[in-house]
Amino acid sequence: MINLTINGKQIEVEDGTTVLNAARQNDIKIPTLCDHPNLTPYGGCRLCVVEVKGMRVPIASCTLPASNGMVIETETDSLKKSRNVILSLLFSERNHFCPFCQVSGGDCELQNASYDEHMTHWPMQPQWTNFPVDTSHPFFILDNNRCILCRRCIRACAEMSGNFTLGVEERGSATIVVADTNVPLGQSTCVSCGSCVQVCPTGALIDRTSAYLGHDKQMTVTRSVCRGCSLGCGIQIHTRDNRIVKITGDYEAENVGTLCKTGRFLSLDEKRTRLTSPMKRVAGQLTATSWDDALTTLAQNLSPLKGNIAALASTRLSVESLSAFKSLFADGLGSDMVTSIEEGRPTALQAKYVDQNGSAIEGKLDTLRTADCVLLIGADLTTTHEVAGFYIKRNMPKGTRLIIVDPHANGMDDLANINLKPKVGTDEAVFNALEAAVIKEGLARTAEKTSNVSLPDALKVCGLSEEDVTDAARMLAEAVAPVIVYGKGITTSSEASVMDAMLRVAKLIGASDSERRGILSVKGEANSLAAAQLGLDEQLEVRHEAVYVAVGDDYVTKRLVEKLEKVPYLVVQASYESALTEHAHLVLPVNIWAEEAGHALNTEGRLQFAEAALTAPEGVRSNLDVLNEVAKQLGVTVNEDWRTALTKRTSVVELEM
Amino acid sequence: MTKPKISSDWMAGCSGCHMSLLDIDERLLEIAELADIRATPITDLKEPDESGVDVGILEGGINNSSNEEVAHRMRSRCKILVAFGDCAVFGGVPALRNMCGTQEALQRAYVDIESNDASGKIPNDPELAVMSNMRAIHEVVDVDLHVPGCPPDPDVIYYVLKELAQGRMPEIKDENLHWH
Repeated sequence: MINLTINGKQIEVEDGTTVLNAARQNDIKIPTLCDHPNLTPYGGCRLCVVEVKGMRVPIASCTLPASNGMVIETETDSLKKSRNVILSLLFSERNHFCPFCQVSGGDCELQNASYDEHMTHWPMQPQWTNFPVDTSHPFFILDNNRCILCRRCIRACAEMSGNFTLGVEERGSATIVVADTNVPLGQSTCVSCGSCVQVCPTGALIDRTSAYLGHDKQMTVTRSVCRGCSLGCGIQIHTRDNRIVKITGDYEAENVGTLCKTGRFLSLDEKRTRLTSPMKRVAGQLTATSWDDALTTLAQNLSPLKGNIAALASTRLSVESLSAFKSLFADGLGSDMVTSIEEGRPTALQAKYVDQNGSAIEGKLDTLRTADCVLLIGADLTTTHEVAGFYIKRNMPKGTRLIIVDPHANGMDDLANINLKPKVGTDEAVFNALEAAVIKEGLARTAEKTSNVSLPDALKVCGLSEEDVTDAARMLAEAVAPVIVYGKGITTSSEASVMDAMLRVAKLIGASDSERRGILSVKGEANSLAAAQLGLDEQLEVRHEAVYVAVGDDYVTKRLVEKLEKVPYLVVQASYESALTEHAHLVLPVNIWAEEAGHALNTEGRLQFAEAALTAPEGVRSNLDVLNEVAKQLGVTVNEDWRTALTKRTSVVELEM
Repeated sequence: MTKPKISSDWMAGCSGCHMSLLDIDERLLEIAELADIRATPITDLKEPDESGVDVGILEGGINNSSNEEVAHRMRSRCKILVAFGDCAVFGGVPALRNMCGTQEALQRAYVDIESNDASGKIPNDPELAVMSNMRAIHEVVDVDLHVPGCPPDPDVIYYVLKELAQGRMPEIKDENLHWH
């Protein structure tokens, strides 16, 4: 521990704490612009200068480690004057005229800092130079005229998403923020995660959707969970007048503010037509009707077909809804085909393995955040589950190695230290080859000295070279904290025995032992794991007289539509018009994700509650209400104890309920 | 004790700050009780008294020779000069033209703009003031008090006038400080 004095107050902080953070922890406010609690200190803006007894000049507190006996002053007249000059210099350097800036009036940290210093003006003449404005990006704008060169965006790009797109060009006051080698942002390597926009202290980076729609203080902020994929990142939904203005990453959540484009931007870019009234097919045409009539029609048509109804639900629905769905159709109506729209593709293989073997095999996302070597197999983390990809990418400059096994092109191919392209569907042989190679090299962490699998045979099957596999085996076995991440590439194309092969490798390389489980699957949509826990993971076979599809606000694939278009009686519970609703005989309009509260069980088994942020349009009901209503009409009692339902089946990963 | 004399004038601005001043509504009478309101753009007297006033308030920045003259005249005739509103304090919206230069701005406004026909030309009457870069008042004459805002809120204006009318220097901070 370190003891120091700030403004006469004796304080104690952990070793390695900066003076700025020491002050923050003790509610002593030191103004700063370039420092951000979630980014590495940079020391660029100099606003956080403090006087340290015995030091000749004021010194930036954000990069100054606290040391024993330090005596620090933060509010002397001389420091106030310095801050005034620093702010005046920042203002006069570029176009910082507040009246025509989107963030002016509360959302600008530069303006707020000046208010805190009681600055009524800046006494220097501005430098009248035009800097480039980049409007090429679909989701946000980079205006270098508003930039104070704090480099928060650059650090966020590197440290949050590991993308390293943003950097600076030129020197001194001519310095500008650029993407890649100064190409337009819209044509750059930017992955649109928007972290840069979230951390920008001025109006230099503003997103298109929220621009000029009001200040933060006019918004209602709802802490929620992203429903974009199974990672379940924490989000804050900013709403005004029942409309989502923007979504930002929640710094308090496990993802510590990091989001991907799906979570931050795509859900605001909704182009589908909303369903606002129940509809039934009358003389071949879908016609709007009342809820009463829709439910009566439903009961008339489905009651005689009990037991002959197939039911599918989106894994974007809440745990509550999925559990009610399962209870209604499987337990209540005795249907032999109750599954999810994903049909267990991302989860069934490992779930069945656990059914047979009895205990959890997968670890938590934190093992990925701290891994020093990642074997990524059958998953492209640049198309789905992007934040998991960020967790890997951002550690690569610190030495984390990446081995990719993917027969297809993978978005992270260029980053891989070793890139293995086996033949399609030969993942088991790849694991066998790795196992044999680890043992052959004498690098096994376990006592095994011989392998039951033959390296030449395995290599022949997967088509990889011995050299490549040996390099990968060595890299994995020599790592301190290796992690295996697998995805749909494995779970959809392999036999159950691939799990055995993978777990053997995991043990051999020390990825999985009693202390630590360095195996993760990314699974599918928000409640993929919950669907698996409820047994909604069967492959769909339609031979039924009627099909009930709870689509919610999910997208429907062409494949699903083709499977269902000939069904004699199709009920679709959905938020948006789709190719599926066109074939429906009855359509029940429901809430979108942000309009209903509910739980989500993420890929690492963490149960999270999401509040509703919006009020649904008139005529639309919640997914759970509709399922309960349908149950009532069909004379079924729905089991409301979803917690027990979730834990009946042993999970692939320990559940944190 | 005689009432302090207050005078105001406007230069390169939109007159919005004076509109905001009128927005203090009936409190204007209170100010008129406390102070002697002399020449302003909204009273009959058009120039501040040659004998001097206590407080001179200037809206707008300085972007031509005429504004310069107004600023110097007010400075020489008042004890406390108030830069009133964002244009006066920083340059404000008219300062946008500094980014491209006065000539280009004139060319765009009078000749190239889409709503013009082919006869558009830049006014060049010798009696017109000579154009310059847009400047904040403090770049031309000394300013004693900056009241930023686009426009300053009526409540801020009321506070400022009431303090000045009673011989005190207003403190522009916290809820009274907005640059907009």
